[in-house]
Amino acid sequence: MSENPTAPGLPGDDEPGRRRIGVYICHCGGNISDYVDVARVRAAIADDPDVMVAETTLFACADGQQHTMVHDIQNQHLDGLVVASCSPKLHTTTFRGVSRRADLNPYAYTQVNIREQDSWAHTDDHEGATERAIALVKAGIAKTRLSTPLSPLRVETVPATMVVGGGVTGLRTAIGLADIGLSVIVVEREAELGGWLGRLGPTFPHDTPGRDQIAGLVAQIAQRPTITVLTDAELVGKTGSFGNYTAKVHVRGETTDELRQFQVGTFVIATGADVYSPEVGELGYGIDGVVTLHEFGTLVDEATGGALTWHGRRVRSIAYVYCVGNRQAEGNAYCSKFCCAATVHASIKVSKVDPSIRQFHLHRDVRAYGRYELLYTESRERGSVYLRYPDDAPPAIEQSADGRLAVTLVDALTGPDELTIPVDLVVLVTGMVPRQNEALTSLLKLPTGDDGFYNEIHPKLRPVETVVDGVMIAGACQGPKPANEAVSGGLAAVTQSAGILKRGFAELDPLVATVNEAACTGCGECLTTCPYDAISAYPCDTGQKALVSAANCKGCGGCVPVCPEDAIDLLGYTSAQMLAAIDGLADREPVA
Amino acid sequence: MDYDVLVIGSGIGGMESSIKLGDMGYKVLLVEKEASVGGRMILLSKVFPTLDCASCISGPKMSSTINHPNITTKTYSEVSGIRRDATGTFHATVTEKPTFVDWAACTGCSDCQTACTVAVPDQFNSDLVARRAAYIAFPQAVPKKAVLEREGTSPCIGACPAGIKAHGYVSLVRNGKDEEAFQLVLDATPLVGTLGRACYAPCESECTRTKLEGPVPIRLIKRFAADQHYTAQGATPSGPAIEVAPPNGRSVVVVGSGPAGLTAAWQLARKGYAVTIVEKRAQPGGYLRHAIPAYRLPHDVVDADIANLTSIGVTIRCNEPVTDLAALKERDGFDAVIVATGTQDATAMNVPNEHVAGSVNGLDFLDDVANGKAPDLTGKKVVVVGGGNVAMDAARVCLRLGAAEAKVVYRRTRAEMPAHHVEADDAEAEGAVFEFLVAPIEVIADGGRVAGLRLQTMRLGEPDTSGRRSPEPVPGAQTSVACDMVISTIGMSPDATLYEQVAGAGRGGRIKVDPRTLQTDVPYLFAAGDVTTGATDITTAIGAGRRAAHMVDRWLNGQELTGFSALDGRLDVVGADQVLRRQTAYGHRNPVKGAVDLVPRPRDFHEIEAPLTPAEARSGAGSCLDCGVCSECQECVHACPADAIRMDQREKVSQVTVGAVVVSTGYKLFAADAKPEYGWGRYPNVITGMQMDRLLAPTRPYNTVLRPGDGKVPERIAYISCTGSRDQQVGNPLCSKVCCMYSIKQNQLIMGALPLADVTMHYMDMRAAGKRYDEFYEQAKDMGAQYIRGRVSGVTEKENGDLVLRYEDTEGTGRIVEAEYDLVVLAVGIQPNRDVERLFGDERLGLDEFFYVAEPSDELDPGVTDIPGVFVAGTASGAKDIVDSIVHAGAAVAQVAAHLERSKVASTAEVLA
Repeated sequence: MSENPTAPGLPGDDEPGRRRIGVYICHCGGNISDYVDVARVRAAIADDPDVMVAETTLFACADGQQHTMVHDIQNQHLDGLVVASCSPKLHTTTFRGVSRRADLNPYAYTQVNIREQDSWAHTDDHEGATERAIALVKAGIAKTRLSTPLSPLRVETVPATMVVGGGVTGLRTAIGLADIGLSVIVVEREAELGGWLGRLGPTFPHDTPGRDQIAGLVAQIAQRPTITVLTDAELVGKTGSFGNYTAKVHVRGETTDELRQFQVGTFVIATGADVYSPEVGELGYGIDGVVTLHEFGTLVDEATGGALTWHGRRVRSIAYVYCVGNRQAEGNAYCSKFCCAATVHASIKVSKVDPSIRQFHLHRDVRAYGRYELLYTESRERGSVYLRYPDDAPPAIEQSADGRLAVTLVDALTGPDELTIPVDLVVLVTGMVPRQNEALTSLLKLPTGDDGFYNEIHPKLRPVETVVDGVMIAGACQGPKPANEAVSGGLAAVTQSAGILKRGFAELDPLVATVNEAACTGCGECLTTCPYDAISAYPCDTGQKALVSAANCKGCGGCVPVCPEDAIDLLGYTSAQMLAAIDGLADREPVA
Repeated sequence: MDYDVLVIGSGIGGMESSIKLGDMGYKVLLVEKEASVGGRMILLSKVFPTLDCASCISGPKMSSTINHPNITTKTYSEVSGIRRDATGTFHATVTEKPTFVDWAACTGCSDCQTACTVAVPDQFNSDLVARRAAYIAFPQAVPKKAVLEREGTSPCIGACPAGIKAHGYVSLVRNGKDEEAFQLVLDATPLVGTLGRACYAPCESECTRTKLEGPVPIRLIKRFAADQHYTAQGATPSGPAIEVAPPNGRSVVVVGSGPAGLTAAWQLARKGYAVTIVEKRAQPGGYLRHAIPAYRLPHDVVDADIANLTSIGVTIRCNEPVTDLAALKERDGFDAVIVATGTQDATAMNVPNEHVAGSVNGLDFLDDVANGKAPDLTGKKVVVVGGGNVAMDAARVCLRLGAAEAKVVYRRTRAEMPAHHVEADDAEAEGAVFEFLVAPIEVIADGGRVAGLRLQTMRLGEPDTSGRRSPEPVPGAQTSVACDMVISTIGMSPDATLYEQVAGAGRGGRIKVDPRTLQTDVPYLFAAGDVTTGATDITTAIGAGRRAAHMVDRWLNGQELTGFSALDGRLDVVGADQVLRRQTAYGHRNPVKGAVDLVPRPRDFHEIEAPLTPAEARSGAGSCLDCGVCSECQECVHACPADAIRMDQREKVSQVTVGAVVVSTGYKLFAADAKPEYGWGRYPNVITGMQMDRLLAPTRPYNTVLRPGDGKVPERIAYISCTGSRDQQVGNPLCSKVCCMYSIKQNQLIMGALPLADVTMHYMDMRAAGKRYDEFYEQAKDMGAQYIRGRVSGVTEKENGDLVLRYEDTEGTGRIVEAEYDLVVLAVGIQPNRDVERLFGDERLGLDEFFYVAEPSDELDPGVTDIPGVFVAGTASGAKDIVDSIVHAGAAVAQVAAHLERSKVASTAEVLA
């Protein structure tokens, strides 16, 4: 495989080693062309004897332009394609698709990133950005010149999915998967299914008790024999390759623990989130009568006899302090999204228990988005008073002499004078925080954002996929959200899994490490380097040689530099290609 | 089953649904009402909170959609009548609207767009700029194919009995394409200059502009184009623009050289026939030359028009009366014969002394005048009998010949007079006098000459079959009028002697033909014009001439006698109300009228109507409202290198069966003029958020951010949030969810595009709820955007276009503040797309109280509607941002797949049982 069908050629059109490369330089609307002189970039490479087509285009990714490329590839008999536009994260599949439609080997295409890595980074230096773009495109051409046709690896997939987490998201996901014909294993860490929602009474917006929702899902699961539920269980091992993984699950038994093994094609991670727990002293937390939203919910749901009581005392007034543990300059910067609507809903429930209770909402913005606006309106109609406090001046909560609570704030409408409201109960509207799941996170190599929640591949377009092949995320583990949105995410992950597994096979990138057997001395250096256990040793006459499992190799290239004999090459990124690309960057003639 | 799933609407929700279903192996039919897939997302600048370029991330989705092996996409199509049968299979009607472009041939080159002469507001640029009637939706359209927007036949075209594309040549002249305008009329008839003068312009009566200030001067615009042409090119050839097929070896003879005959000859000659016109008079033109007086239609204009014919080889043989039609074929060898002899016989009054000296019929009188044999009428009193156009012509000619009095006597009243009202008015202005409700009963003769006319007084009785009230004599009431001459103009009829033995004559001596084919019972013999109908007018005769030529050509080629698209099977005429409703604003246009030189008792035959000046012609044409949208000017037809324009394309309706339906019809933006206090639609510098997104997009209309009113680069920009949301006044208590975030996004983009601009947003609650949304809001604040809490009560405009916002500074001083801005952006909200109500047949799809598609169990079953097998994806069920829509579509797809799997199991079970 290390052999190149075409050696870097000498000038001259009739040279048999010449490549026929098409280069397309994208304006990206103005994202690139506002800073990079794309016409100059084109001019700089148009005379390269291996470049048959050099064009600039408003949007390389637009369908019309794709048609043009297909047309060019076929009519000009191109054997290489270079697209200089945005990050390969965005459009690698797009232009591989173009290549495929034009019967060009998709691995003869190189993506050159002159947007994220150039125009966006150098908006203040048009000249420099243009020069850089020229160098990057030359490097891309140099790499493409040495490309060889590769075929994707085909792997059989297992029609089964493991769902990690047995809350509302995980349970609904499991049912969704089973309903389209996939086997499911639900792995729940706790002894009971249901997660947070399973402990809640009537929830917004329809007042369906969370407990009932969970009970309904559990009943549906019981009717589906293709779903296996494991409680007291944790995912502890994952090996294998895309579409065909071996998952090891540790199940705690009453007497003995058990390690069970499952073959699955994909994973859906639905491990949920925790609720924020205030520090003692934070906004009066620890004072008798200062409770979190979660604690308050239980209190309201358990209220009987037309009155709300706290430690035997009737509650006649309540203050809600919003954004506790959220939207903080120091601390959690994010908004937890669900808490405004949850609090507004709680206040409606309170007024249904005892309409005489006076309720004060101390907020920063009432984020009752979409239809939740109706709840907000109802809450105000039922007498709730909403006061806005400045972002930088949270209310102060103290216990007054009579044992009641005094909430002091600057009301934005009547400020700057302070206002003190005496109340019987203070509810700290606490948001969500990421769960502490280090073991799972590192097992699956799931990326997390700086907020601590799992990150999707693309927050806009690919919201349930992760950069880890075959591992989807759904629900609150990727960010705070209400239950119904978590359920949607779970079902979207069902769809994503089905897209992979319903075909029965998957195609993997052949961009994997390959060993030149002749050069390998069997020293074993590479075996310990591979983070994916993709390299093994096999015995031979001269001792042993390294062997790469293409299905397991992720193409990270970690083994290439450690090989003392330079016997390992990464297909699609061979050493020769990378050296040529570096030469291209430095704008020198390639070293033969 | 034709498809597993029908997806309706190809916004991000519909595309996502289709792709995911396709990936799972289901066969999908995706139907989109616009010409391109992509919905609104592709029109956005960037998306929050990642600031990804919307084109870059939605363009490839569009491409994947259309190229997906499991997805069939029908754009510019609509779904209706969805019905579920007992087995759970859905039946739906898919209507592919005509694009008038053969998409298989169209390459998306946009030459048609460049050539098109009609500009309409560009809905893909939020009406900020215009697009053409021939258009490609937007630069990144998928598929990139052109569409001709035709709302129907423009009323002017619909009114023209000649099928001349009035809207087309008006539009061409509007664009300075005078020669193209001439050529467009010439394509129908050689009589361009004639029509520019002597046509009664039924088009103008139907012109929608009449409902406003007055009609577009359509006839004079045509005359303008003709005059330009003849001045530049002389009274000859039509130039290379007119296509003439090479000789096809066959010959046709046309008997008669009036407008019908000339037009038929013209059309056949252009198709390659050797055409001969035989005319019994000394000069060709029929009544154009021999009846219509020169002050209305100068003879040199008729000559120039006729020269068009002779220039392409039509032979005109004058002084050659025909007596034997059959001989033309049998003896002379013509392959077909067209009779176009018109109405030559004048109807007699049938009163005593009708033929004494001084009593003539109008046709003979006008013929004499036209041929230099005008009598001297100096000081004479003339009575003209009749109320038609010939009467008016006769009276006015008499005045020009010196008559002391020209009196028109008519047996009904002015209201019933068949003469065109302009003719009657002009005759009166020149001194003709009218006497109504009198009928001639005797020419009073004295010494063999006319001495007067005895008249019976009439009154109006019941309406007759034509709807006019019939005159009836008032018993015993008679008068008489002394005069020197009586001109009778009470009617005319065909002379049937030529054909009554061959083809037969019908009522009034008219030749018998099939009115659709104009073929007589003798297959090679056709007829056209007044000889088949009785007296009509020039345009009707031209229409007939075109029809006869078309049919003769079809007959000679052995084809069915159909397909006369110039007049048959046109699109329905667009109603004036429809046009006026469509316009969002009118500029007042002073009507352009031709100057007519009307003086009492004119003494010569100079042309009395002045031509339009170029400025008048442009201005008059500029007042056209483009009723049908496409003007049928044919510029795109000429421009298209792929020959892909198909004006005769019509909608294609098909029935499909599917296993499930996904409704992803999206939302409508709030119409900001429903908040009049913010001035959108009245103040040009108040725009909507979507308009701002267009100003910021890579394919932006002005290539920079500027205010539409005067093009100034704004320095102070205000946002008003919750426009049309959280607002009981406009009937929408819901929060639209996206407006806060798109405003924050735009705030950041504006600060990037216009570093000097100050951006202020007036908001109620900043609903930055979502992953990384609040951080995005903080980022905008850090960049310098100002956020002021409180609802803006109103916007007023200053003289310089700046805007004053009035609001209570709730969190500051508490006072009422008036703040000035250069540009105000209304953060308009989302409203339900109620088109969804038209999708279903008997079984109605359940909507919620706000008219979004209801999801009865949205907590655990998102995407499920109240009809089993029908699912909803994206904003059709409520406000969502892009990522919400994608997730929701993903969920809906899981529901669709579960439904299809269940159906499969059920039907397998049935088979096994």
